[in-house]
Amino acid sequence: MALLPSGVFAESYAADRALVRTGKQWVALGLFVAFLFVLPLIFGTRLTAIGNGILITAIVVVGLQITMGYAGQITLGQAAFMGVGAFAAAALARAGAPFWLCIPLGGVAAAVFGLLFGIAAARIKGFYLALTTIAAQFVFQLAIVNLPTDLFGGSHGLSVPAASIGSLRLTTETSIYYLNLIVCIIMVCGAFGIVRSRYGRAFVAVREDDVAAGILGINVVGAKVLAFLIGAFYAGVGGALWASYIRFISVEQFTLFNSIWMIAMIIIGGIGSIVGAIVGSVVVRGLQELVTALGPVLNEVFPAFGGQLVFAGMNLVLGGLITFFLIVEPKGLMHRWNKLKQAYRLWPYPHA
Amino acid sequence: MIEFVNSVANGVLIGLLYALVAMGFVVIYRASKVFNFAQGELIVFSAFLMWAVVIDRQLPLWIGLPVTFIGAAICGYVLDRLFLSRLVGESVFSMVMITVGLLILMRGLIIIIWGAETRAFPVVFPLRPVIVGDIIMSQALVIGGVITIVLAFGLSWFFNHTRTGLALTAVSEDQQVALSLGISVRKSMSLAWIIGALISAIAACVYLSGRSLNLHAADIAFAALPVALLAGLESITGLIVAGALVGVAQSLAQYYLDPWLGLNIASVVPFILILLILLIRPSGLFGWKTIERV
Repeated sequence: MALLPSGVFAESYAADRALVRTGKQWVALGLFVAFLFVLPLIFGTRLTAIGNGILITAIVVVGLQITMGYAGQITLGQAAFMGVGAFAAAALARAGAPFWLCIPLGGVAAAVFGLLFGIAAARIKGFYLALTTIAAQFVFQLAIVNLPTDLFGGSHGLSVPAASIGSLRLTTETSIYYLNLIVCIIMVCGAFGIVRSRYGRAFVAVREDDVAAGILGINVVGAKVLAFLIGAFYAGVGGALWASYIRFISVEQFTLFNSIWMIAMIIIGGIGSIVGAIVGSVVVRGLQELVTALGPVLNEVFPAFGGQLVFAGMNLVLGGLITFFLIVEPKGLMHRWNKLKQAYRLWPYPHA
Repeated sequence: MIEFVNSVANGVLIGLLYALVAMGFVVIYRASKVFNFAQGELIVFSAFLMWAVVIDRQLPLWIGLPVTFIGAAICGYVLDRLFLSRLVGESVFSMVMITVGLLILMRGLIIIIWGAETRAFPVVFPLRPVIVGDIIMSQALVIGGVITIVLAFGLSWFFNHTRTGLALTAVSEDQQVALSLGISVRKSMSLAWIIGALISAIAACVYLSGRSLNLHAADIAFAALPVALLAGLESITGLIVAGALVGVAQSLAQYYLDPWLGLNIASVVPFILILLILLIRPSGLFGWKTIERV
């Protein structure tokens, strides 16, 4: 447990478990949320579009954090789960289902698909589980390409009708931004609730040692399956939002490569922390945008490479980040931040 | 009937190629308990090096081959020293992710150094097919199959009868115990990575001889995964049996199931096999230990 600011003492269990402890923290949180709400008004469409990408990614990565960071189940198939959500929501929307129903149903579809691999996790673990979830990626691709084309678009992809709530059509970058922001806030609050509940504590126990967790009376298989279910549900909701934002989806948007990007976000942000997942999404998406923006400049400096430099650059950034953080800072940015906070609260004393 | 025999014969040969690729996985896994997802990129790296020397620089094959092998060995050594040796004793997650990170990093570097376009790979083995009766086989694959079998028995002998090989086997049994017996785990890991990289260079020659080379050549590592899993990740001679089984299964699926179902089942056969093997018998046919179950 990180140190508290001086003078803050919990006098009840509720106060002890509170996430926001001081008046100043409430003010900071309020200001941050207010900033998120006025962001599209201050910055232009370009930054709002980046914000949309970050919000959707954050939802999916928070789900991955629950499966992988809290329950300790290595998943290399989060992009496939996201894809299932996206295609399910798109097919429902094309069939005329109301938009507000498509998003949770996209999540449910992904959760059912994730459940299959959760059942695999009941039998195998560690790196073998990682292999099984890679298979999820290929099963997803094969399924979409071979399912009826008029329903799921096959290999050509699927165009998605615009999102609409009542008579309000959400087509502009800004209106989609508010939709994504509200869903993202709900999902993140939900994630905090889940990880602090008895289920979340069961996840952590299973992650630390599943035999010990079993002896403590935790249903280990149940916890693992539930972790996959929740993680895939988050991915599905993110996928459904993605479908209604990008308006055209295809299997190429949900590859193993994308799954690895998401894991990179967790590693960089900090494994086992919801805030870490969000920080990782922001940092990594920001870097991706930077490489994309620098692409034309680099192409002018090194014309010999043709158009491959952006792709190569993305690979170098992703591979470099993963290996660098695993070796130098395996607990991620949140760990560094917590240490900084602790040092600040203890100052001028060096040790607690 | 002749199609069946042809399918089986070519399936066995493809399977032996998979076994050769899988051998790289197994050697590295035994020594460092790391499953090297970057094995495919090692193959692509050796292949591009070979291309650079033989096609780009127009040097003869007898220079190209040693340069490729030395380059691959150095690459394996550097990867181990820079990345893997720093993570000994870390969690499974770190070990899995570091090689995934290496896969992506190496791909980026290969594009930066050589570019991503498709190019011709030198002809290492004669192109003329081997014809036995009515069976037509690729000569590269036949020679490759022989190399695989010789290499499998050679390595198996090395691991069971030489001092260095036994040290490597001890490390793969238990790193802590090996360490307390005075075996240098570090050196063993480096050696395993060098052997793994050399095997991938051989695999590159067999797989790509006279064919076109691009970044997709790395995909063969994923196809070889089920072979390594079926054999059990520790057994080297078991790879021959496992390779033949997987190769024949894939070849028969391609010949009989694909036209019937009208879709490309053969390409996902390896992944379906991975799922089945992991769910039914995670330790494979010849693996040492049962995988931890819950």
